[in-house]
Amino acid sequence: MTGNPYQDDRGNKDATIANPKGGGKMTPAMGTGKEMNTTNAFLVGDSMTGGYGKDGPDILHDCTIAVNPGEIAVIVGPNGAGKSTGMKAVFGMLNLRQGSVRLDGEDITSLSPQARVAKGMGFVPQTNNIFTSMTVEENLEMGAFIRKDDFLDTMEQVYGLFPILKDKRNQPAGELSGGQRQQVAVGRALMTQPKVLMLDEPTAGVSPIVMDELFDRIIEVSRTGIPILMVEQNARQALEIADKGYVLVQGRNAFTGTGKDLLADEEVRKSFLGG
Amino acid sequence: MSETMKNTALFGWVFAMIVLTGIMQSWNVALLILNMGLISAIMALGVNLQWGFAGLFNVGVMGFVALGGLAVVLTSAAPVDGAWSAGGWRIVIALLAGAGTIVGTVMVRQRMATGRARNITTIAILVVGFILYRAILDPGVNAVEAINPALQGNLGGLNLPVLMAWPIGGLLAAGVAWLIGKTALGLRSDYLAIATLGIAEIIIAVMKNEDWLARGVKNVVGLDRPVPYEIDLQNTSSFVNRAEGLGLDPATASSLFVKLNYSILFAVVLVIIFVMAQLALKSPWGRMMRAIRDNEVAAEAMGKDVTNRHLQIFVLGSAVCGIAGAMMTTLDGQLTPGTYNPLRYTFLIWVMVIVGGSGNNLGAVLGGFLIWFLWVQVEPMGLWLMELITAGMADDSGLRKHLIDSAAHMRLLTMGVILLLVLRFSPRGLIPEK
Amino acid sequence: MDFLNALVALSNFVIIPAIAYGSQLALGALGVTLIYGILRFSNFAHGDTMAFGAMLAVLITWLFQSMGIGFGPLPTALLALPFAILGTMALLLFTDRLVYRFYREQKAKPVILVIVSMGVMFIMNGLVRFIIGPNDQRFSDGERFIISVREFKAMTGLKEGLAIKTTQGITVVVAIICVALLFWFLNRTRTGKSMRAYSDNEDLALLSGINPERVVMYTWLIVAALATTAGVLYGLDKSFKPFVYFQLLLPIFASAIVGGLGSPLGAIAGGFVIAFSEVTITYAWKKVLKYMLPENLEPSSLVQLLSTDYKFAVSFVILIVVLLFKPTGLFKGKSV
Repeated sequence: MTGNPYQDDRGNKDATIANPKGGGKMTPAMGTGKEMNTTNAFLVGDSMTGGYGKDGPDILHDCTIAVNPGEIAVIVGPNGAGKSTGMKAVFGMLNLRQGSVRLDGEDITSLSPQARVAKGMGFVPQTNNIFTSMTVEENLEMGAFIRKDDFLDTMEQVYGLFPILKDKRNQPAGELSGGQRQQVAVGRALMTQPKVLMLDEPTAGVSPIVMDELFDRIIEVSRTGIPILMVEQNARQALEIADKGYVLVQGRNAFTGTGKDLLADEEVRKSFLGG
Repeated sequence: MSETMKNTALFGWVFAMIVLTGIMQSWNVALLILNMGLISAIMALGVNLQWGFAGLFNVGVMGFVALGGLAVVLTSAAPVDGAWSAGGWRIVIALLAGAGTIVGTVMVRQRMATGRARNITTIAILVVGFILYRAILDPGVNAVEAINPALQGNLGGLNLPVLMAWPIGGLLAAGVAWLIGKTALGLRSDYLAIATLGIAEIIIAVMKNEDWLARGVKNVVGLDRPVPYEIDLQNTSSFVNRAEGLGLDPATASSLFVKLNYSILFAVVLVIIFVMAQLALKSPWGRMMRAIRDNEVAAEAMGKDVTNRHLQIFVLGSAVCGIAGAMMTTLDGQLTPGTYNPLRYTFLIWVMVIVGGSGNNLGAVLGGFLIWFLWVQVEPMGLWLMELITAGMADDSGLRKHLIDSAAHMRLLTMGVILLLVLRFSPRGLIPEK
Repeated sequence: MDFLNALVALSNFVIIPAIAYGSQLALGALGVTLIYGILRFSNFAHGDTMAFGAMLAVLITWLFQSMGIGFGPLPTALLALPFAILGTMALLLFTDRLVYRFYREQKAKPVILVIVSMGVMFIMNGLVRFIIGPNDQRFSDGERFIISVREFKAMTGLKEGLAIKTTQGITVVVAIICVALLFWFLNRTRTGKSMRAYSDNEDLALLSGINPERVVMYTWLIVAALATTAGVLYGLDKSFKPFVYFQLLLPIFASAIVGGLGSPLGAIAGGFVIAFSEVTITYAWKKVLKYMLPENLEPSSLVQLLSTDYKFAVSFVILIVVLLFKPTGLFKGKSV
């Protein structure tokens, strides 16, 4: 009974009057209480502390995540470590009590997620990341919605990266397999020609073979020069392709280093990679 | 200001308005408002049970209220001579045959394997059942409706005391609510809103068209009363003497006396239902209802049968509306199916609940009184306002005439504005849920 | 010959009226389904929006008639329609600005919006009655028939006559144009696609840079056009009476739900399903059967399954049956 009375639906689940599907759950952040500037990178979430809602408990504690052009940065860690939360914080979906987010030197901490997209950030959420009722091509088209110029080139590039999408361009995206859906999701985010791409567990729920293929594609995307920030459950494989790795534990930076270093680190291996 | 103080003040204010009406307009009007206010408060309690405590969206309040009214005729009216022997039993048998057809269909569908054979059997049973039903029903209906059609033409009632009709009205509404709830709440997500919206229209359609039941749009008038008749009082010398002792003329005094009697009866019912609702909600059952409302998944995980609980509270809430409907028809002394209108009998009750405070019984009662008071008084206020606005215009101005004629429609407008204002600025209502 | 006569009688009393009524319901249901898909609630004020739009058309028609402007054989109301649509658009945008937008900012649950729409319903209902009164208003003019019974009999020599009212013809033509335009808009234009995207996945639409306020605005504009058109067509075909529009809410909701809430195609299908079942079940089949059956089997009664007063019951039963067997509606909407 606490909270916003306008959001109290009394447990009503009558779908003949209220549409339960597709509603927005995203709540934009409201800036930060305390700015921080400790490091430099193309995209950096600097010393972030915060949690969900106006006064929810802190989930991140002084956590820093950064990525530079040409790099793949991977956030790994045990369940509940705040991996996805860290990424959402960088994307402006979390209330920061401390910390800053900077893109290409510009402070974007107080921007809404939509505004960050306009600034050049591409974000692929973990779930609900495609328009299921629309065709693959329409999905890509919607990805390019903010662009006023001709985006057919970009679409060809995306089809070049993900050839299967070209074959299925007129099929509703909801009818595709899990791996193909993820490709649509990444393709949609690429349509804005982002300056940085953020992926929230792109391989969640797909088979190992598909996972390997997705990783290959992500490397290919990275080769086009776009910096990639990615949250991954499959720590070992992810660190193998990572230029930079962040191991989070309980919302704090536990280990940071290149993917290779982390894989080689005895402690990291013991605690997170199963020996 | 403490909460009790605030609530008392709110109630005090509403009753002061009613008293003021008595002083400035007439005590008859004031008592009329009070009586319908009492009935409205009971209806609001019913809807509040469903929406406030279980989040069930019932937009068919009108249907249950009308069923309560029907119960009054079926219970208290005198049986029509010869109606039962002429065709009454035939109608009953036909209805049983109709019900049997539906039950049979459901049973066949449960027994048989899916496939074409089952579909064909289903359709065959339904078609045969319908033909049989109409074949039995029609002659019975014709025979009953032929009996003294100018005044009767219906089956009549059981000739029981009219007060019995109130609980029976509740039972009738509960029975229909059970049927709807059973179908509409069963699926993965419910479709109660559209189901109640539809059933209310159907109930009214049946009551308007099935003349054998309660004379349809020809209305049943002169229903029994639980209170004395004015004319009898005026002919009682002791009453006349006492009225004159109070300085009232017998006609006014008798009318006030009758209305006061109703007020007392209604107030007793309201108090009983209110206390029962409060007790129920403080009981483990009520706590569980609210637990389900606030977190259905958790409640389900704890092994609570959510659908069944919802069905229970839906039936209970509808029964309360049925009782209120029976009381209203008793107060009117007549059943007029043509006057049931969803704006007045469904959506206005919703306004009462929302304005009063969904989830709070006291709030629902307050909403019932307040909104009913406004519903009645907005019309004269609107007229007064229009006369004020148009005072400067010429007497024969078309606009002036139009505005004054249209003043009656101000009440709908006002109800909408009140609902929107409360929803926006005090979304929990005047007396919020604790 | 008997077969032809039966066919003509059937067309005259069942098929043609049902097609016209179905088109009107479909247009109404499209509006409901669009709001359900994009604003995510069932708009109880939709019937009264139709009444408001139709009322504007009636008033403008009267104005035109008084000025001597006519539309030849077609009803003047068709000329008034565009103006009525503009008026309704203004009203809906104003309502959104004043009422609904606040709840979007609050991220209110859809059920709350349903209750809000009840308030709007009261206001619109009151407004219409306030302006034009609660009574029946006739505003159709021009030719009454495309083909009258007499002409048809003379033309074909059949015993049964067939009449097609001008309003019925117009209803179908206008409905087809509206639906074609709507589908073209939703599937072919950038704005239309962004509306579908917003309905499908609001968060992702935001991330794609789709402006929700614009989507909502376009939705209200389209809904205003659809509701006004539906209201005017219904009023031309029958007559204009505010309360009747309020009562249309049930068959319109039923159509939208039967078709699958949120699915425009479903809304159209649902409209015709409901219309055809209402008309066939409440039609007295004696006339048709007379031609079809041998003389000794000729029915003595009217062979009317249910009296016309039960037409709401029919919509309702169809609705329940569909929901029991196909909970998402005929065209898998977002429903139930």
